[in-house]
Amino acid sequence: DSHIQYERVGADVTMKCGSMDWDAAVTWTANGTDIDESHLNGSYLILKNVDLSQSGQYSCYEGSSWHLKYQTYLRVGTPPKEPVLMCRSNNYPKGFYCSWHLPTPTYIPNSFNISVIHGTKDMVCEKDAVPKNRCHIRLLQLFSTVKYKVTLTVTNALGKNFTTLTFDEFAIVKPDPPESVVAKPVPNNPRRLEVSWQNPSSWPDPESFPLKFFLRYRPLILDQWQHVELSDGTSHTITDAYAGKEYIIQVAAKDTDIGTWSDWSVAVHATPWTEEPKHLTTEAQITETTSASTSSFMAPPTTKICDKGAVVGSGAVAVCWTAGLVVAAYSALFI
Amino acid sequence: GDSWGIFTFLCAALCNLPALPALNCSEELGAGQSIQQTYDLTRYLEHQLRTLAGTYLNYLGPPFNEPDFNPPRLARAERVPSATVDLDLWRGLTDNARLAANYRAYSRLLCYLRVLDGQVGTAELRHRLAHFCASLQGLVLSIGGVMSSLGYPLPAGPAGPPAPPGAPAAPNDFLKKMDDFWLLKELQIWLWRSAKDFNRLKKKVPPAVVTLRLEARGF
Repeated sequence: DSHIQYERVGADVTMKCGSMDWDAAVTWTANGTDIDESHLNGSYLILKNVDLSQSGQYSCYEGSSWHLKYQTYLRVGTPPKEPVLMCRSNNYPKGFYCSWHLPTPTYIPNSFNISVIHGTKDMVCEKDAVPKNRCHIRLLQLFSTVKYKVTLTVTNALGKNFTTLTFDEFAIVKPDPPESVVAKPVPNNPRRLEVSWQNPSSWPDPESFPLKFFLRYRPLILDQWQHVELSDGTSHTITDAYAGKEYIIQVAAKDTDIGTWSDWSVAVHATPWTEEPKHLTTEAQITETTSASTSSFMAPPTTKICDKGAVVGSGAVAVCWTAGLVVAAYSALFI
Repeated sequence: GDSWGIFTFLCAALCNLPALPALNCSEELGAGQSIQQTYDLTRYLEHQLRTLAGTYLNYLGPPFNEPDFNPPRLARAERVPSATVDLDLWRGLTDNARLAANYRAYSRLLCYLRVLDGQVGTAELRHRLAHFCASLQGLVLSIGGVMSSLGYPLPAGPAGPPAPPGAPAAPNDFLKKMDDFWLLKELQIWLWRSAKDFNRLKKKVPPAVVTLRLEARGF
């Protein structure tokens, strides 16, 4: 019959060949390969200071008959270090989840046990199928003054360890990042970008538990972010973008009153609208374009760059960004 | 009694409105704006409480000022009104019940705080407590104002007597400090809960509900 044997890294292991006497003649194999006699003490196999590579199947055969007398599977590993535990509510007020992992692998199977105590009550944390090291709890009461105490114990064949978290209901609230972030240029507005997003789908009740948002944006070429905090609404128009530069934009969410900010959303890229053709700034360039006047131009709204009053109706050519006014002045020249 | 408090509050609110003829409140004002103001007040109080609680717990000394101090609730502490509520029950509260719960809770918490105020040692603490009590009184009046503007009767009970009804003094110094600890904790949780209560009210109260029923009260 087959056994499994768990041993610590660095330990000295002695394997007996089943019920054979000490002075019996035996041969040991490791994963099918004969083991040199120098490792034997009589019929015992001695492995000193074992390491992970020595894990495997060890078999002992009677000397002359080659009968298999004993077989064991050696697993070399370590007892568990203190596990890392984290609890969070991304679906307040429905409940919260706790997830855990070991800081270093043990190389042998571990089992986890989690207990949640709320005041004097024991609560059941239901294990999730996926991901594995996670369980969730439903909140039965809201606005509790009593803390939750979560204890995670990890056990394997070589030892056990545990960690405890104690927290208030509202301290662990952290929504998922906003979803479906979209950034679009605004036609005829070279300094604007329209950003919109949605509440994270995991947040169950935005009506009673509204979220507020934090938007950050910067042109790719700069390191400094601009920030805007929005107390409600799921859209915002950036009005101070640098013309023609590609921007990177992210949004984060937080319950308006409690908890912490979500992680940043997936980044979106957008470039503000630019006119075609670009940047007519000198007299020489304006006289080159002859056919532009036939298409219908809508007079663009005033931007900060150009003062409308200076140009309309006069024969003088003004330095100006807005295409419509350029055409108006231009047409005046040719009529 | 209550009517004068409400009247004073409403007068103060009206005095702050820009250039309106007296009592000609359009429908968007009144309930909607009072709820927003009450919400803002709870947020302000919550902010104030953080500083006050930090100072007061340090005054009480360890273990009360330790961050993971997590004592069991003793039976006597139940007298302080708790914000804890069943989730479905909380969702299903009528506007009246929701407001009344807040009104009652803060009225009683105010009583307890005033008792505290009379007992603390340092001048700094007395000053902070006094300031906080004044703001809390403002909150109680604000909630009362919202209730009146929606036509709900104010819950019966004290808005200002100095002694909390029927609370025996703690038998020893440690238990007295425990009472203080729980009082501050419950206050903190109530302010969080109120923010959520008033969020819900903001969404539910229709703007068309006209508010000032001064004529019904015989003014």
